[in-house]
Amino acid sequence: MNWKGDVYTSASSNMASGTSGFGFCLPVTSFLLILLLCVQSGGSQKKKENMLAEKVEQMMEWSSRRSVIRMNGDKFRRFVKAPPRNYSVIVMFTALQPQRQCSVCRQANEEYQVLANSWRYSSAFSNKLFFTVVDYDEGADVFQQLNMNSAPTFMHFPPKGKPKRADTFDLQRIGFASEQLAKWIADRTDVQIRVFRPPNYSGTIALALLVSLVGGLLYLRRNNLEFIYNKTGWAMAALCVVFAMTSGQMWNHIRGPPYAHKNPQNGQVSYIHGSSQAQFVAESHIILLLNVAITMGMVLLNEAATSKGDVGKRRILCLVGLGLVVFFFSFLLSIFRSKYHGYPYSFLIK
Amino acid sequence: MAEQHTVTDGKHKASTNAGGTLLGNSRPSAVGGGGRGSLSGGLTQPAGWQSLLSFTILFLAWLAGFSSRLFAVIRFESIIHEFDPWFNYRSTHHLTTNGFYEFLNWFDERAWYPLGRIVGGTVYPGLMVTAGLIHYVLNLLHLTRPDLHLHLPADTGTVEPGGGATGRLLHRHRPGYISRSVAGSFDNEGIAIFALQFTYYLWVKSVKTGSVFWAIGCCLSYFYMVSAWGGYVFIINLIPLHVFVLLLMQRYSKRVYIAYSTFYIVGLVLSMQIPFVGFQPIRTSEHMAAAGVFALLQAYAFLQYLKDRLTKQEFQTLFFLGVSLAAGVVFLTVIYLTYTGYIAPWSGRFYSLWDTGYAKIHIPIIASVSEHQPTTWVSFFFDLHILVCTFPAGLWFCIKNINDERVFVALYAISAVYFAGVMVRLMLTLTPVVCMLSAIAFSNVFEHYLGDDQKRENPPAEDSSDEDEKRPSGNLYDKAGKVRKHVSDQEKAEEGLGPNIKSIVTMLMLMLLMMFAVHCTWVTSNAYSSPSVVLASYNHDGTRNILDDFREAYYWLRQNTEEHVRVMSWWDYGYQIAGMANRTTLVDNNTWNNSHIALVGKAMSSNESAAYQIMQSLDVDYVLIIFGGVIGYSGDDINKFLWMVRIAEGEHPKDIRESDYFTPQGEFRVDKAGSPTLLNCLMYKMSYYRFGEMQLDFRTPPGFDRTRNAEIGNKDIKFKHLEEAFTSEHWLVRIYKVKKLENREPLDHKPRVSNIISKQKYTSKKIAKRKRGYIKNKLVLKKGKKSSKKAV
Repeated sequence: MNWKGDVYTSASSNMASGTSGFGFCLPVTSFLLILLLCVQSGGSQKKKENMLAEKVEQMMEWSSRRSVIRMNGDKFRRFVKAPPRNYSVIVMFTALQPQRQCSVCRQANEEYQVLANSWRYSSAFSNKLFFTVVDYDEGADVFQQLNMNSAPTFMHFPPKGKPKRADTFDLQRIGFASEQLAKWIADRTDVQIRVFRPPNYSGTIALALLVSLVGGLLYLRRNNLEFIYNKTGWAMAALCVVFAMTSGQMWNHIRGPPYAHKNPQNGQVSYIHGSSQAQFVAESHIILLLNVAITMGMVLLNEAATSKGDVGKRRILCLVGLGLVVFFFSFLLSIFRSKYHGYPYSFLIK
Repeated sequence: MAEQHTVTDGKHKASTNAGGTLLGNSRPSAVGGGGRGSLSGGLTQPAGWQSLLSFTILFLAWLAGFSSRLFAVIRFESIIHEFDPWFNYRSTHHLTTNGFYEFLNWFDERAWYPLGRIVGGTVYPGLMVTAGLIHYVLNLLHLTRPDLHLHLPADTGTVEPGGGATGRLLHRHRPGYISRSVAGSFDNEGIAIFALQFTYYLWVKSVKTGSVFWAIGCCLSYFYMVSAWGGYVFIINLIPLHVFVLLLMQRYSKRVYIAYSTFYIVGLVLSMQIPFVGFQPIRTSEHMAAAGVFALLQAYAFLQYLKDRLTKQEFQTLFFLGVSLAAGVVFLTVIYLTYTGYIAPWSGRFYSLWDTGYAKIHIPIIASVSEHQPTTWVSFFFDLHILVCTFPAGLWFCIKNINDERVFVALYAISAVYFAGVMVRLMLTLTPVVCMLSAIAFSNVFEHYLGDDQKRENPPAEDSSDEDEKRPSGNLYDKAGKVRKHVSDQEKAEEGLGPNIKSIVTMLMLMLLMMFAVHCTWVTSNAYSSPSVVLASYNHDGTRNILDDFREAYYWLRQNTEEHVRVMSWWDYGYQIAGMANRTTLVDNNTWNNSHIALVGKAMSSNESAAYQIMQSLDVDYVLIIFGGVIGYSGDDINKFLWMVRIAEGEHPKDIRESDYFTPQGEFRVDKAGSPTLLNCLMYKMSYYRFGEMQLDFRTPPGFDRTRNAEIGNKDIKFKHLEEAFTSEHWLVRIYKVKKLENREPLDHKPRVSNIISKQKYTSKKIAKRKRGYIKNKLVLKKGKKSSKKAV
């Protein structure tokens, strides 16, 4: 979870610069708050209800316009923090401005939008739950007030009482997939949201484009379709699949390892993972290349023996092939040996 | 133990026989691969020499393959490994004692208590029937003593523990000779891989010849495969794919039509005879591709028939219209039927093969199995060594000289390599094709480099021609033969490469292959020959300690508990408890009921009193856990614990929450910093009960867990509803007895004592006054106050 650390540092540095700016703001707002509270406590029960109805109405109106309500400091205090409330609010604290360079925030925002939309357009939509967002650049005071120093953070504000520990979404561990968020919300508020992802059209469009491109090509060359029967092309494609799989690209796809590891102490970059249970992306690329080289060597050896032509050329071809096979295989073996501790054999290269 | 020796004798006979049947059958295919190419063999009597040579080499290869699988027997003893084999053993035992029909109707009330399990209908019986048959034949021949049947599974097991679960194929390669020995296992996969190979071999043969005979043979072999392993779905999808691609490539022929039609119909009917499969072949999506291709093939054949009756122009339009219409109709029908519910959609297990993130989110129990993890390049290399780099070359040659059968090989290779990439376990299906293709690659090389530069008197094309029918790889050799002729035309060019280069190439290649052989032996002996039931540890001086805790504990259960007690454990150990201890289990490795497993997981991860309620409702008498903290065994229950929590959370999200078991920093730790929920859950308490008193080493504090390298956080563990019943020598297995309900619940706390009551002991004032004396002007000490105060 490196990214979290990065976010943390960047956000906290912002925080430091921000503190001085908002220092004077705080008394004002707290004064306002006290004023607000006074008004409320002074008012009768009826007034309270009126106010609640007003708030709910306002929230509904906003959320009908946009599924995620944008909040600044004042709005946040009025609608999220201050009682009376009879609705739950989910707040995403984030920093979406481009100058903050928080790529995680953007991804989290997308997931959050998906979730909010699924709630907004579901049949169960009610005024019991609202989705809001507070951006650091619009409501830094809120961040300060809640002692928050990393973004993004998801929090749930229950209708009654203060948020507890479990009301902060455990982003580090669970991640921010909207399904997980929905599960968390169901846990906190008893509102079940079925996440409906808008079908990802980009993939479909890309596929359609590809198909039409290929179709167009075929149509243009309809008089000369020989190239479909080109075995080399097909063999290449097959080998690509094979190489991708044997070098563990599927593992990368599922586990999502980092590209390489940089040692924070001395800044050394290691491309090969030390354990046999894991691998880096860079490592799998290296292995892929080695595999390709060895296979090419084998093919060359064969070519050298079967092709016609100049003997000298074929000899060179043969030696090159042999060299490829032997050298790269021993290299591969040495990498394997370094990863698989206790493996006794090696060849040429230790 | 003395008896053990005599039995061992009989067993070796039996294992040889079993090996013979298993491997002997694979021989025809191997001959197909290896029969050709004895380059210098054709000096005097080509046929005689050749067959003698090939026979000898095959025999030696088989012998080597067989003996490498005996590592485990020699190192340890003849014992069944792992987990699933114990169930297979138990059901084989049932089969041999009670007969086949009794076996089919077997309702096992000893598993999945209180639900029970219908074994006959939920098992692939191929393995048990095979083992039962061997046992029967041996009995018939009076080879063995009647009590052999107890050991028989172990015998068939010995055929392949070496290849073990990953089914590594021993690939022996000599100049021009390719032979393989198929690894079996007393796990289903053992015979399944052989069946898979044989089915493919027969399929290729039937496509080549177009004879119904071979197609029927293929169906029978397919039937055997279906009866043995769920992986048969791979066949029923790959063969239609082959046919489909052949149609696309316009390689349709009557042979294909005959082979596929016969195969599909007969194979379908046969596969439905297995009770576990039942109507699945016509009701589930996994089998729909085969049906669709069948329909398409019929339409295609019909149009081909019309071809003779129509003019060319008419036919062209009709043909494209017809074929696309047929394809569309088939596709829409399948979709319609799926929607209306006649066809079950893809099951999660298969779905997770395509959408690789699926299992992790939706089915934790599938994701929790280590065999279902994706494959790193290291495990590819570990299992296949040099083959992993040379088989693409074989594939290249195959595609460059494509024909009907090589299409099949190529498809097989590509699909198998994909599946192997997604799941470690499916490496099993990949290995045969990898061996075949790299054999092609190597033999191509040797073909050109090994031969002397002398002219060959008789181009051996004619003896290859009768053998090359046999197998795709064998088939390559008709190409090779042609090349040979070709080369002999080019004699000068051939000689031009020079003997030096040739011998260098040959030497190096042989060296690589030798390294491969050495590697395989090493892997077999080190990685695949430890029977996980018995652990071995090595001292500094290289001597070996055998840790036999598992069997010790199971034997204890068997001897010291009443016959019908219920033992709760995590599902991994279900089969072993049933097989070795012969006691009723709650959950086992056949993970058919997720909610039941989740209930056990919940009991393990809740605190003691909540767990006691669950255990009460499930009638649990004993709880068995595996604890590796003393010897540093990493596969213990605390390390698996998060999966228990996850699975329990899936079913009981209100009561169990994974986040409770982590520290606020998101770590899973067992020391003082660990989360209190973890430190008080049943699994933790059972694992570390009285562990705090134990000092393993002078360098470490008492209660130091070697597996997790931490001093445990809760050393003062007391049980209320459980008591320790048994702990094995190295603490590896701990068994707890669940106490019956108390007659009267004792209070957790001391009865409340109030000062008033104690002081109100009535005493007559008069007497009290009279008896008690007092000191005048006694200094009174006031508690809780400081005598001197500083000025504020």
